[in-house]
Amino acid sequence: MNKRAQTRLIGVTAIIVLAIFAIVFGFAGGDSAVQRGVSEALADSALVGERIKVSGIVVPGSWNKKSNPMIFDIQEKGSPDGPKLKVVYAGSVPNTFGDDIEAIVTGTMTAGKSLEADVLITKCPSKYESKQGATTVTSLLGAGDNVVGRPVKLTGYIVAGSLSAPGGPVRFRMQAESGAGKDIPIRYDGAIPDGFKDGSSVVVGGSLDKAGTFNATSVSMSKADSK
Amino acid sequence: MALPTIGNLFMAFGLLSAVVSVVALTWGHRAGESEGESLTNIGYLSTFAAAVFLTLSSSTLVTAFFREDFSFQYVVEQHTTDVSSLAWLYKLAGWWAGREGSLLFWAWLIALFAAWVAFKRMGITDRLSNVALAATNVVQVAFLAALFIENNNPFKVTPPDWLNPATGELLVPYAMNPLLQHWAMILHPPTLFVGYAGLTIPFAFAMAALITKDASKRWVELCDRITVFSWLFLGIGIGLGSIWAYVVLGWGGYWAWDPVENASLLPWLTGVGLLHSFTVYRRRNAFKGWAISMATFSLFFVILGTFITRSGVIQSVHAFEKDPLSLGYFLAMMTGVLVAGLGGLFLRWETFRSEDEFDSLLSKEASYYFNNVIMLVSALVVAFLTLSPAFGLREYGPATYDALAHPIGILYVGIMAICPILSWRKTEGPAFWSRAKWPLGGAAALAVPLLAIWWFELWPNRFKGSVKVLPFEQAIYGPETVIGLLVGALAISLPIYLFIDGARKRAAAKNEGFGTAFLAILTKARTQSGGYITHLGIGIILVGLIGSAMFVNDVKATVAEKPGEKFEAGGYTFTFKSVDQQTLPNGDVDTRLLFDVSRDGRVIGTVNPGQLRFARQGQVRLEAAVISEFLHDIFVVFEQASEEGLAMNVKINPLISWAWFGFALTIIGTVLAMWPKRAAAA
Repeated sequence: MNKRAQTRLIGVTAIIVLAIFAIVFGFAGGDSAVQRGVSEALADSALVGERIKVSGIVVPGSWNKKSNPMIFDIQEKGSPDGPKLKVVYAGSVPNTFGDDIEAIVTGTMTAGKSLEADVLITKCPSKYESKQGATTVTSLLGAGDNVVGRPVKLTGYIVAGSLSAPGGPVRFRMQAESGAGKDIPIRYDGAIPDGFKDGSSVVVGGSLDKAGTFNATSVSMSKADSK
Repeated sequence: MALPTIGNLFMAFGLLSAVVSVVALTWGHRAGESEGESLTNIGYLSTFAAAVFLTLSSSTLVTAFFREDFSFQYVVEQHTTDVSSLAWLYKLAGWWAGREGSLLFWAWLIALFAAWVAFKRMGITDRLSNVALAATNVVQVAFLAALFIENNNPFKVTPPDWLNPATGELLVPYAMNPLLQHWAMILHPPTLFVGYAGLTIPFAFAMAALITKDASKRWVELCDRITVFSWLFLGIGIGLGSIWAYVVLGWGGYWAWDPVENASLLPWLTGVGLLHSFTVYRRRNAFKGWAISMATFSLFFVILGTFITRSGVIQSVHAFEKDPLSLGYFLAMMTGVLVAGLGGLFLRWETFRSEDEFDSLLSKEASYYFNNVIMLVSALVVAFLTLSPAFGLREYGPATYDALAHPIGILYVGIMAICPILSWRKTEGPAFWSRAKWPLGGAAALAVPLLAIWWFELWPNRFKGSVKVLPFEQAIYGPETVIGLLVGALAISLPIYLFIDGARKRAAAKNEGFGTAFLAILTKARTQSGGYITHLGIGIILVGLIGSAMFVNDVKATVAEKPGEKFEAGGYTFTFKSVDQQTLPNGDVDTRLLFDVSRDGRVIGTVNPGQLRFARQGQVRLEAAVISEFLHDIFVVFEQASEEGLAMNVKINPLISWAWFGFALTIIGTVLAMWPKRAAAA
């Protein structure tokens, strides 16, 4: 190859590559973020003024959808006693937003240890199940030892005030009718779907143990309640 | 025997056949042409056997989908709940809807490609083809072995507690992702996978050329068409994915730089470099190193794409769970491909040095060179940006990709446009200007309406899209988009000029009519004509993209749910008329809104955007409504109902129909280019 053409070729190639580098590392600051956990974001003071992306569980009752900007707290997934990060979010709120859902927020850390977010994405664990073919609480309680250890799809209503944190022996209790009838304790440590509350009609899959506790492997809202 | 076990068994026989084929072909190659003949024959036969066994294995899975056999865990997870007339298609689509099935589908396609090569070459069994077939089967073995990793196996048996033992009814809320239940999404994965699987072949032939030290253009001629075919399918797959995203995802865009989209783009980019390297290889006996490295990078990026989408290393909308075993496995495969291709090229560098040289930056070679450089660098940059968060580095948003893609894309189309009128080695000024005169004139004529559109339709709507524009790009937005449109105009006018000029010259030389000569060029010089049509399509796509990706007018509005209530967006008035809600037999709820759309007091049509709520999956799919006009699409989405009323999102997407039209042209051009010659090269 002709020497001059070769030099020019290399020169032009270098300019293209350098321009790309300049865009990625020089100008993209406002559009890039580092991923951090909730506790990391709170602990690392070097992150103040930085753009970060944090995912966490929305602390129940910490938010008001009507306020603008909306303020809510998030916690590390799976650690309900962990530290809370305050998020100030200006923008439209997805309709899947709610208590206990996983929110992924991107924004700037302020000196006051809160996150000024402009992006909010929710991971919606909500799921619905048909009541059809499911056993009622009454018939399960009446079936006695015959059903112990068998897979059962159970339908019923959540007893008011029975919902508690995961990890304990009883997550919630179910009864055959809303607010009436005998109830049954449900053990379940997984994620609770969006919309689960006192009196909700739900469908759970799992089995009854000898002690009379229902060990759930899946919990869903019943389809009739979902609209 | 249980059906899942049978499927697994067929798959194991397929793997075994591929292994036998590799061993026999390698051994046969070592033994020499005559002594090794029977071994070589075994290698060819085993290739066919692998294809047969994988077809049987896949049939088992497909049958299970049609019979809704819930003893397959994969069928439980991917079965359709659809009740429309397309339900049978979705049943078939279950095959490639999830990670496990799509890997099987892919392996099946590789087996078909291998069988095709074996079929074409079985009468000749030349050393080059034999080694290429062995290399194809090596890749196949790697893929099939991956299928036996627990997480990738489509023949897992359903855990007993998922089913009601009495009724066989499902107790788990699994079913095919409702977003995937759409015709474009049914076609999108298989076309992509055809492209992915096909790109194994040029890599295999490149390896064969390296191993047999055959630097002639034979290997290129043998896999040229399969490569164009694969690249075409990759392109169609990407296009269908965009159409799906536009129609189903409901954000009014078609490209979001999602990791999975990027994954499919990577091999397409290096594929462009590969095809053009092949052209120079065939015509100038040059760019040999480029051809081999582009073939290597293309397969590398195919596997990287699998790695990105299937290993869960990057979170994306497609959200596959994290799987460390597959992660390490695919990482090893990627390294293997790179080491084999680039390492082999390094060892054989003396043989594969190019003979052709070029003297000036204003030459065809230089434009092909920059084509390759831009494609390779773009692929590497996109790969870096996509994978960056997996390395604990920054995560980049779409604005960064845009800021890179806009100028590079415009530069690239500029080089592409000018290439056909450059000469090999060196372009003399006067010769260039005499060729450039007419196309430049044509571009100038075309630029007038385009710039008028820019001034009246595009520029007033700048920075109104939902994706932000980086500050530095905002500063250059005006010149950037104007230059883009001018480049687009040139890219459109030049191929048209080339056709007219070619037909005129041929008509004069052969004493034919202009029309006859034009048709003759289209049908006889297919590779070149197809290339020009593809270039024309790319020019039109560029104009379409500048409008629809850079000047979207995004309006959000809330309107009360009362007949006669109005809202405005982008100069249009939307008047609410009614709402219609239906529960389908499978429990899904379909909600449709009806609006009159008017401009300047004149009704131009109605839209009925809606939402479909899927009962079993508990998901909602937005059903967008679109009115297409010549200059823009009016894209309407019903986001949600709230206390204040119906939250609506309207996007005015300028020139988007240009992008679809250009896309169709590039497909037509590529099909023309790869259409088999009547006298096929032996």
